[in-house]
Amino acid sequence: MNVLALSDIHRSFHPGVPVLNGVDLGVDAGEVVGLLGRNGAGKTTLIHIAMGMLQQHEGTVEVFGLDPHRQPVEVKRRVGFVSENQNLPAFLRVREVIELHRGLFDSWDDDMAQRLIERFELRMGARIKTLSKGQARQVALLCALCHRPELLLLDEPAGGLDALARREFLEASIHAMSDTGTAIVYSSHYLSDVERLAGRVVMLHDTKVLIDNSIDELHESFSIALVPHRPQGTSDALLALPECLGVRVRSDAVHAVFRLDPDDARALITQKLGVSDSVCRTAGLEEMFIEIAGGER
Amino acid sequence: MLIVVDPSSGVPVFRQVMDQVRFHIASGLLQAGDELPPTRSLSAELGVNPMTISKAYNLLERDGVLDRRPGRPLVVAEMEPADLDLEKVNQLQSALGEAVRAARQLDIDPEEALQIFGDLLENEEKED
Repeated sequence: MNVLALSDIHRSFHPGVPVLNGVDLGVDAGEVVGLLGRNGAGKTTLIHIAMGMLQQHEGTVEVFGLDPHRQPVEVKRRVGFVSENQNLPAFLRVREVIELHRGLFDSWDDDMAQRLIERFELRMGARIKTLSKGQARQVALLCALCHRPELLLLDEPAGGLDALARREFLEASIHAMSDTGTAIVYSSHYLSDVERLAGRVVMLHDTKVLIDNSIDELHESFSIALVPHRPQGTSDALLALPECLGVRVRSDAVHAVFRLDPDDARALITQKLGVSDSVCRTAGLEEMFIEIAGGER
Repeated sequence: MLIVVDPSSGVPVFRQVMDQVRFHIASGLLQAGDELPPTRSLSAELGVNPMTISKAYNLLERDGVLDRRPGRPLVVAEMEPADLDLEKVNQLQSALGEAVRAARQLDIDPEEALQIFGDLLENEEKED
């Protein structure tokens, strides 16, 4: 069953300049979706629409079959949310912030809260404003996890954290996932974290969903082709192929990302362009992201 | 048991886990009846999605490499010596997959590629 169903979402902040222009995203129970895209690609906008914090101009949003804008309390009770720009009340102490959240949710899990307090070594008497970025984010994650949400929306949760804090954040989310089967939608610029956590990757590009595939498909059935510059018009010829997701002209060669495994990509290039000395290989998410985000299509 | 994953390598993590378990079995580090770490703890230690680990374990179980009995930890399955030999061959084959792709893309003919592999093996033995 879909815990989150966004369909044909349109949203702009300035007339005529859409941020999201017909975006569909369905997330099943227990699924972990990594949401990628350049700065300004609309990741935060999409997450805010899912949370009911922002209203779409067109399209429908359902969270557990409910409308987050019309039934905000019912939805928020079952959703956890952590973002890079989240502000916890600065003058409250850690204990008070946790108590506040505990009072809001019937489903609050004291054991889980205690485990996370120990794991994160949180100082319960410290005021929020005295915490480091990493500690504040840990408090936010604790508050988001301990009411055992069915859906966790993480908007760049690791932004500004050091490698160890990021890893601990990841591990705590992973435990929550195996304990409660929480579905996670997770936007991050740390692509190796996305590769660790996500079962599925959705990439927003040019106001639309460009990629929506399992991480295993991205690793095995997508490839990067390096195609020699000559003859003229190589990049246009590549762009004309429907399986080509983007082309970037570099000094060494034309780089192209294909929705095909390396053997098929190479065969296609040979057949359509008559170029037999292209080199095709699979790639990690970061390399793929750079080729697509930095290229043209 | 040592399992290391590199999520950015372009090889799916579930496949990296499968390959390493199979390699440890072929090399004798893991033997029939040895227990594998539970999905939950391995996924937390490697910092990867638990579904990835269960996918790897399920496929290994399907292939007869691992043995799951209700209520017991997952263990390495009993294997015939002939199957173990076959497993070694499989390991080498999968390690050579990359080399085969390179040879094809570089247009090196099969005989020359064999010669190169033979030379490398010989040099390695001399160094040992």
